[in-house]
Amino acid sequence: MKEINRQILVSVSAVLAVFGLVAQALPAQAAEVGVSSSEIKLGMTVPMTGAASLGYNKIPGAAKAYFDYLNENGGVYGRKIRLIVEDDKYVPTEAVAKTNKLILKDKVMALFAPLGTANNRAVASAVNPAKRGVPVLFLNTGFSGFADLKKYPTHYMVLPSYVMEAKVMGEYIKANFADKKIGLLYQDDDFGVDALAGFKTAGINFAVKVPYASGSQGAAAAAGWITKFKAAEADVVILFAVSSATSAMLGVAAQLKYAPQWMLGSVGGDAVTIKATGVPAGVLYNAIGFSPVPATTDMKDEYVKLFSDIYAKAVPGSAFDLNVLLGMNSAFMTAQALKAAGPNPTRKSLMAAIDSKGATFANAALVPAGYSKTSHVGLTGYWVGKFSPTGDLSPIGGTYVTYTTDSGAGAVVKSTYVRPAMPAKGLPN
Amino acid sequence: MLGFLLFLLGNRVDELRVYQGASIAVFVIAISSLILLTGYSGQVSLGHGALMAIGAYSAAIARNEFKIPVVLTFFIAVLFTAIAGALLGAAAARLSGPYLAGTTLALAIGLPSLANQFEPLGGEQGIPFDVGLPPARLGESFTQYKWFFWIAALAALICMWLLSNILSSRYGRNWRAGRSNEVAAQICGINMSRSKILAFTLSAGIAGLAGALLSMTIGTVSPSAFTLALSFSILTGAVLSGITTLVGTMIGAVILVILPEIADVVAHQIGSSERVTSNLPGFLLGALLIVTVLFVPNGPVEQHHARAAKRAAKKKS
Repeated sequence: MKEINRQILVSVSAVLAVFGLVAQALPAQAAEVGVSSSEIKLGMTVPMTGAASLGYNKIPGAAKAYFDYLNENGGVYGRKIRLIVEDDKYVPTEAVAKTNKLILKDKVMALFAPLGTANNRAVASAVNPAKRGVPVLFLNTGFSGFADLKKYPTHYMVLPSYVMEAKVMGEYIKANFADKKIGLLYQDDDFGVDALAGFKTAGINFAVKVPYASGSQGAAAAAGWITKFKAAEADVVILFAVSSATSAMLGVAAQLKYAPQWMLGSVGGDAVTIKATGVPAGVLYNAIGFSPVPATTDMKDEYVKLFSDIYAKAVPGSAFDLNVLLGMNSAFMTAQALKAAGPNPTRKSLMAAIDSKGATFANAALVPAGYSKTSHVGLTGYWVGKFSPTGDLSPIGGTYVTYTTDSGAGAVVKSTYVRPAMPAKGLPN
Repeated sequence: MLGFLLFLLGNRVDELRVYQGASIAVFVIAISSLILLTGYSGQVSLGHGALMAIGAYSAAIARNEFKIPVVLTFFIAVLFTAIAGALLGAAAARLSGPYLAGTTLALAIGLPSLANQFEPLGGEQGIPFDVGLPPARLGESFTQYKWFFWIAALAALICMWLLSNILSSRYGRNWRAGRSNEVAAQICGINMSRSKILAFTLSAGIAGLAGALLSMTIGTVSPSAFTLALSFSILTGAVLSGITTLVGTMIGAVILVILPEIADVVAHQIGSSERVTSNLPGFLLGALLIVTVLFVPNGPVEQHHARAAKRAAKKKS
């Protein structure tokens, strides 16, 4: 047995030694990590496969479509943008491993639009982009906690926070469904915590609240949720949930002929994604929806028109939906940030550019963005719409009336924001 | 001397390799716990991921709620998982073969999702487990990942040393005797159920340590970190290492860590879609498992030993 003892130590040391040999000398430091004379590298983690990937797996294709369009038109100061996409399956461990790869191996300049509240939190604590000085641009999560500059100094939000959305929803409920029984479906993590905080601020009392665990959002679970809403006789049911949960709920409701007044949160309320799962469009009819960007079917809107044209050419046959629009919008804002960072962009100058000019970046949103030296809050509001018989969301009354608020106790007010016109050809100027 | 070796290594390699080194050390511990159980005491477990989860949660709760020093949290992880292992082992001692496999499989599926039912366990997004920054006296260039690597590598070395000693003691002999022939072992006066429970307890304790270390490297403890896939990949790692000997654990651990990277390179070479890229590691691992079982069923190390023994025998004759 002494023999085995010795062998174990030898094998352990041997592998450790090989491990040492594998070590490569670090390449000579360029002007900035991820920036060469011809290219800027960005990295993204997103669920491309797995239960939660529904709808969100179109975001990388959408962002790439815009970056490719930008590259064909000269890039940013002659540099092409390369987006490296990693599938995290919506699992925090995977997100940490993949982000490590992006930062340490691929050596990206910045992380772009990483998705998921839990994933972003795990990455923030394990990989710690803040300590490494790596900018995390335009998070694909609306958890209000990411606006905490002390904890997340290099993170930039873009989606309005879930608190803001719940507050805007709350105001709508008070004005239109004051005497109705309200039910709420929400995710039992920070996504839901944020929602509950927003509804509380708005002063909404629920007849029934049904939490679900992310990862358990199938049809079988949905049947159980419906039983609870039925038992509580909810007149209005709010689905503050991811796409897969929202679709499962509406699909099962259609089968069971359960038809309360639906109210869909923006996270899972994209009609194209919902209909793609086989949910009949009729179920969506008259449901209330919320969005910070114009309706995806609104081809009179110059941003929607250009983005959908670019997307149709890049990814033929794929429907233009809210995930695509938001993905392209974030890519467009990133391009402007890189341009604003100057001909020799660094991680620091990129962040400084967003701090000083981010609030004025041209983008599709109909509500203001809150970027400044002291705030990394993204968009700050919504317009309220109704779904048509064919399941398309359009503004109530035909024109966009937008509401803006904050993630705290601030009031919900009508926004007077005037969106900047689209720069020529949709390129940063 | 070992510390010096670690120090040199940590300084030579780039940060990603340091992080992978930490992951390898974690897998070495997890695989060795399974080899102890299956290879030495002859009990099957498909649920080591669940035991790792117990270790991770107990360490994180000890750290967050009771502000216990980091070093102690690892001992707590070992202790709690060992207790859970003892309970499980008591049941396991009455089961064998497919029944035991089924029981542990159920555990792997059910236990992590229990976390969704209890508020203090943080639901799906889990709870943070922060071992803190490396001590300042180690200098500015001593990164967080180097710190993880040091802790995990040290734990792995201590674990291996302890295990190899236990296995060469009376207990190790008892386990091997029981595995070879239970009846014969009982006739020799070995209390089989006690021996099996002891193996399960020890194996669980070590798995708990691996779980705590794993969650250290990802900063959080959440059910999604301890999936069925984790249990299976540890088992695969154990088979690749050679299930009957501790010497090869490094082989399985290294394969588990570098395979996704190789798969990534291959996928990019053939320019395939995301769907292929994310399923390729599993496919390669499966293929490797089949090849191993077909050609080197006892693992490369045992195979090498068998060959060496044959050659020696030839020389003699």
